[in-house]
Amino acid sequence: MTHLSMESLLSLREAGLEPGDAAAREHLESCSGCRAELDRLHQRVARLKALPALRPTRDRWPQVAARVRQERRARRRRIGGLVGLAAAASIALGVLVGRPAGGLPAGEQEIRQAMARSQALESALSQIHPDERVLDGRTAGIAQELEDRIARVDRELEMADLLGRQTRDDQLLKLWRERVGLLDALVDVHVTRASNVGL
Amino acid sequence: MDSYLLANAESVVARARAGDESALEELYRAFEAPVYNLARRICRTTEDAEDVLQETFFEVCRSIGRYREEGSLWGWVRTIAASKALMRLRRNKYRETDELQDDVMGHRREDTALRMDLEAALERLSETSRAVVWLHDVEGYTHDEIANMMGKTPSFSKSQLARAHQRLRRWLGEEVDV
Repeated sequence: MTHLSMESLLSLREAGLEPGDAAAREHLESCSGCRAELDRLHQRVARLKALPALRPTRDRWPQVAARVRQERRARRRRIGGLVGLAAAASIALGVLVGRPAGGLPAGEQEIRQAMARSQALESALSQIHPDERVLDGRTAGIAQELEDRIARVDRELEMADLLGRQTRDDQLLKLWRERVGLLDALVDVHVTRASNVGL
Repeated sequence: MDSYLLANAESVVARARAGDESALEELYRAFEAPVYNLARRICRTTEDAEDVLQETFFEVCRSIGRYREEGSLWGWVRTIAASKALMRLRRNKYRETDELQDDVMGHRREDTALRMDLEAALERLSETSRAVVWLHDVEGYTHDEIANMMGKTPSFSKSQLARAHQRLRRWLGEEVDV
């Protein structure tokens, strides 16, 4: 007589019916050896579940808390760096802000508007204090990507400043508009997240 | 499980999401023991299990905002712990030579009528087999879920479980001629 394999016995313990389970159940009806084997399997699993709980000998919370704090500090530095870069770019192009609006060509006026909008968004962002909050993984990922993209735009703006008059107004305007769009999205990410958790 | 935490789970989670460190510590204190137990049953050493405990809670602190309260908080924490423990096994892959040795020397050892207690028999299984046994039989994960966590197929999980039970049966002296 061929007895049931361990796979078949284990399959009989599963909730769903596997192919071959019906035949296995039929065999079980007529085979006391396999019934005893299935019973031993049940008992073994019950004994596994009843094994005593093992407990850690050392408290690992201090290490976890230290890493959490370290990550928050790193995040704060990242945000600080981001705002610093933006400020540098604004100062570098501050000459535009200083000019009377009426005497500016249309392109420069638009750049000035974009810069003003960028500064307003930065101010809004700093009031949210994003660095002092724990973000969920997905939101943190989106925020980080936006911050990285803003940093890239800032590097291009710095480069444009170094190149001086070689950079055309339409290129500058494009960069500032991109910066405004990214900052807008970043503020949105933080505000949405904050409202989701009732902050 | 910490009954205080379960009664206040919602407010503790809300505080933890807002970055309150004392709430994060409350989560740690409530789930420290079951997470360690799971990790220790899967990992070979206490050091590895303690590292998994630490990594699990760092991930919990980092991702608490991702917990959607659709399932139980413990279920969410447990899945993180199981993933971290399995990740640790993959990192310590060289230890799987144990299993090779089992295969090579197994016949001689297994033919000997060994009778050991369940703790010792469980400890003697290869890390992969032990992980599958613990996750399936004790924690209640399905073969599909285990396969997903291990990056393997459900058939792999099923065959590991069957093989592990054959060995446990032998080592526990449960073999009966029928």
